[in-house]
Amino acid sequence: MTPIKMISTNSISKTVSTTQGQLEILKPISFDVSEGESIAIVGASGSGKSTLLSLLAGLDEVSSGEIFIDGQAMHTMNEEQRAQLRGAKVGFIFQSFMLVQSLTAIENIMLPAEIAGLNDARSKALKLLQLVGLDHRAKHYPNQLSGGEQQRVAIARAFITQPKILFADEPTGNLDASNSDKVEQLLFDLNRELNTTLILVTHDPKLAAKCQRQLQMHAGALSEITSSENAE
Amino acid sequence: MKQAAFNLAWRLFKHETKRGELTIILLAIILAVGSVLSLSLFSERLQSALTAKSAEFIAADRVLDSRNPMNEQWLAKANEFGLQTAQQVYTRSMVFANDKLQLSELRAASSTYPLKGKIKVSDVAFAQGAFTEALPQEGEAWIESRLLQSLDVKLGDEIEIGAANFTISKVLVEVPDAGFNIFGGDPKVLIPLDDLANTQVTGPGSRVTYTAFFSGSSANLNDYYDWLRPQLDNEIHRWKSIEDDNSPIGNAVSRAEQYFLLASLLAIVLAAVSIAVAAQRYSQRHYDPVAIMKTLGASKNMVQQIYLLQIIFITVLGIIIGSVVGFVLQQLVVWALADSINVSMDAWHWRPLIIAIFTGSICALLFSLYPLLKLFSVSPLRVLRRDLGANLSSRIIQFIASGGAIFLLMWAYSENLTISAILFSSGVLLVLALLLVTYGLIWLGRAFGQGRMSAWRLAWARIHRRALDNSVQLISFAITIMLLLVVLVMRNDMVQQWQDQLPQGTPNYFLVNITQNQQSELAQHFEARKVNVEKFYPVVRGRFVAINGEKIRTAVSKEDEEQQSSGRDGLGREANLTWSDELQTGSRVTAGHWFNESPLSDTLDTEQYGVSVEERLAERLNIKLGDELTFNIGSEVVQVRVTSLRDVNWQSMRPNFFFVIEPKALAHFVPTYLASFYLPKEQKSELTQLMLPFASVTLIDVDARIDQLRNIVEQVSLAVEFILILVLIAGSLVLVAQVQASMDERQQELAILRTLGAKGRLIRGSVLCEFIIIGLTAGLMAAVFNELSLYLLQSQVFQMEAKLHWQYWFIAPVAGALVVSFLGALSCWRLLKLNTSHLLRQMV
Ligand SMILES: Nc1ncnc2c1ncn2[C@@H]1O[C@H](COP(=O)(O)OP(=O)(O)OP(=O)(O)O)[C@@H](O)[C@H]1O
Ligand SMILES: [Mg+2]
Repeated sequence: MTPIKMISTNSISKTVSTTQGQLEILKPISFDVSEGESIAIVGASGSGKSTLLSLLAGLDEVSSGEIFIDGQAMHTMNEEQRAQLRGAKVGFIFQSFMLVQSLTAIENIMLPAEIAGLNDARSKALKLLQLVGLDHRAKHYPNQLSGGEQQRVAIARAFITQPKILFADEPTGNLDASNSDKVEQLLFDLNRELNTTLILVTHDPKLAAKCQRQLQMHAGALSEITSSENAE
Repeated sequence: MKQAAFNLAWRLFKHETKRGELTIILLAIILAVGSVLSLSLFSERLQSALTAKSAEFIAADRVLDSRNPMNEQWLAKANEFGLQTAQQVYTRSMVFANDKLQLSELRAASSTYPLKGKIKVSDVAFAQGAFTEALPQEGEAWIESRLLQSLDVKLGDEIEIGAANFTISKVLVEVPDAGFNIFGGDPKVLIPLDDLANTQVTGPGSRVTYTAFFSGSSANLNDYYDWLRPQLDNEIHRWKSIEDDNSPIGNAVSRAEQYFLLASLLAIVLAAVSIAVAAQRYSQRHYDPVAIMKTLGASKNMVQQIYLLQIIFITVLGIIIGSVVGFVLQQLVVWALADSINVSMDAWHWRPLIIAIFTGSICALLFSLYPLLKLFSVSPLRVLRRDLGANLSSRIIQFIASGGAIFLLMWAYSENLTISAILFSSGVLLVLALLLVTYGLIWLGRAFGQGRMSAWRLAWARIHRRALDNSVQLISFAITIMLLLVVLVMRNDMVQQWQDQLPQGTPNYFLVNITQNQQSELAQHFEARKVNVEKFYPVVRGRFVAINGEKIRTAVSKEDEEQQSSGRDGLGREANLTWSDELQTGSRVTAGHWFNESPLSDTLDTEQYGVSVEERLAERLNIKLGDELTFNIGSEVVQVRVTSLRDVNWQSMRPNFFFVIEPKALAHFVPTYLASFYLPKEQKSELTQLMLPFASVTLIDVDARIDQLRNIVEQVSLAVEFILILVLIAGSLVLVAQVQASMDERQQELAILRTLGAKGRLIRGSVLCEFIIIGLTAGLMAAVFNELSLYLLQSQVFQMEAKLHWQYWFIAPVAGALVVSFLGALSCWRLLKLNTSHLLRQMV
């Protein structure tokens, strides 16, 4: 069967205006991602990886081109509609964790579920917290947790709404080797379990290699390197 | 959706309160509500206490003077309104005894007089006297010592007033509503109102003032006045309270009231400023959570609900705590004052609480409006691009919303457009000037902030980089300092003026009717006893007959009697004329020139001498500069030309005259003299000895009056002092909160510098420099705009003479720099004590 297209882009580009005039930070890019696929975006610093991610996730608007997420035309949506789409279909993990400092671990995990108006946010959150091995830290605030622990909380938070797509920008960038391993492990396990589509930006070739496809960013342009051997 | 927003808002509120993240904004609201409540409650209570106390000086809370007999129905109606009433009738009448006669001020009082204050009587002349609740019985009269002296009578003797005889049963020492223009008044005679008819002195043609006194709660008084007002005739009736009474007491009280109002208004502005600063900080701290929530799919609507709810929670909590704090603070001051201000302050006023709650909520909501709008506009992209702030750039909304809110609040509270407009416009000008300065600082920062890293350069670089962000801070420092200056300097000027009014050694006795022969003898006699007679004023009795040859109809002082409660005897058919080369203290030439300065005096023919006329009299009789006035003195006719008009303070407790004539014009008349001297209390017993050789000289004792005046002015000053202290405390707290908030903003930068290995000394030095620069600028600007608002306030509202206060142009910047940098250093030290990883952890 032909895989369902989860993400489909048609020559999207991003231009920003600076004091020195217009700057094209993303050249027109087209590619598709099927459901359940895992994709790594690699490239030098400043090559435009985060920019691409922000467009795919609907955090920013494209300057031109089309993006379809799960069949919905995101490029036609306004911020409100994109927010709704994000809440319904997308999960996030960031390099700097991005937990709400004044909410406890469990409350951070509950946050997307509550925003989406789901009922049993707390029990779902508890289950996920157990899954990431932090149930004993439920009532701790982010600044009482280590970086690795915070990232595990962030992962739990990303999965609570069972998103169709998960975006991760350097999820292990701030972590040491052993913490990185733990986080990667969790990420891929949950990803597989829930059949989530994963878009992952990383500098780490090892992590990139675990993904089915690797895309290379270079000065705002995208090229496909490999289809990984994991591909079925 | 609603439920989720509420849950989230509540959760954030709970945790953030517990974690101390809301401390600053919460403190700002508590401070706002607390200071507005304590200040306005305290001043309302103090004000009603002072008004109650000073009401003694008009013997009632309200007085209705009438030239016609009092309408009895009005009095009955007043009783229905729950008011107490009393009546008194004044007239001037001759009193006869022992074949002597003396003009006196006859007061016929009803049995309930006085409603406020007490009458003082004694059994011997010129004694201190004691308070009494009683009044003269039927057929009895109480008379002043002077009258005993001039009629040569004693207690138990009979005197004749009009068609009736009275037995002197007490020496009248003092009545509460005697006024302060003691000089020139005729001695008082107090008789029962019921006996007045027998005297037949109030017949047609005689000048009589009928007075009704009212006292009761201010609500009842106001209701009654609302009922009465339509029936009053301006020509005949005059309704007054102590504030309307143009006496030193009335002036002091009404000025104090304005001061309290000013202080409360300043508290409102201070509150607003501190909330504005805190709200900005609050909003900045929440950029990340908002970006995160938006990223996770929260709609704008939901974010708005969450944060509006949170602000409401904070406001409610702040208002509750603030009200308690404000009440306790105010109660403490009341207790502390209980011994010094001997009036009960139990009255509870609702208005301050309502105003405080309004101030708290309106400030909290309106001042967080712009920061919140900014917050709502934070892009979710911030989660990826950390430097992204909010992208709402227009500050206009902020200025209009917050400025309008402050102005409306001030106006609503003060119900005084002038004060509100003055304070507000000087504030706005200050803000504009500071924005200019901000751009100047940006420019300076660019110039100074480059080169090798030193504390000085670092400070300038920081100012440069954050100048716009920090303009709010600079503005808030400057406004706070300016407001503190306004209350401080205003208080100093006011108290100074009160003290100048009655300096130590103010003459407390007057001598009238000193003959020319007695003058030098008396001077020597007094000098030998080390009593200093200030000055002898020559007095000639004359009759004022014509203006520019046109005869004047009747006596000059008809309206004058109603004009001044105490000045009613200033001028009868006969006027006291004096001559003098120099202007009396307390008088001021308002038009024309004083004699020796007059350019006209040489050019006029020698027969035509000058006269200086009291301004208000001149206005009433339509006397202009250059008019020719005619007086009959003895058998002679004297014509003089008006060369100047004078503003006379009739309440100064000094000799004052309607007409002062150029000395040469009266050179050949034989005057009597009038003099005043100061006798310390402990020498009072020498008075009889002192006066013994001069039996014909009349002594007027104003010592008790001066004491009363001093006493009330001292209490008012004390009250003003306490208000000042309250404002200073509130202001300092605002400053502390501001520094704290700005330190908070600097935390991240400090952490980074620290991480990079910058020495504590460098960091401290740079922070210190930065605060010194900000403090100096704020202080200087505050001093400038303090002058502006003081000038406007003093000339437009307080009716004082405005002057510059150069010393504050120096004090304010120095104090500003010292205080701000001290507070800054303090919180900087605290930050530097924490270790670096802790610092980094605290920031997101
Ligand atoms: N709003 C903007 N204005 C100006 N330049 C921008 C803007 N957004 C991104 N850029 C530039 O676009 C380029 C791509 O940025 P992006 O953050 O996507 O890089 P990246 O590949 O994620 O780098 P890194 O690996 O360091 O995270 C950078 O050079 C950045 O400076
Ligand atoms: Mg990046």
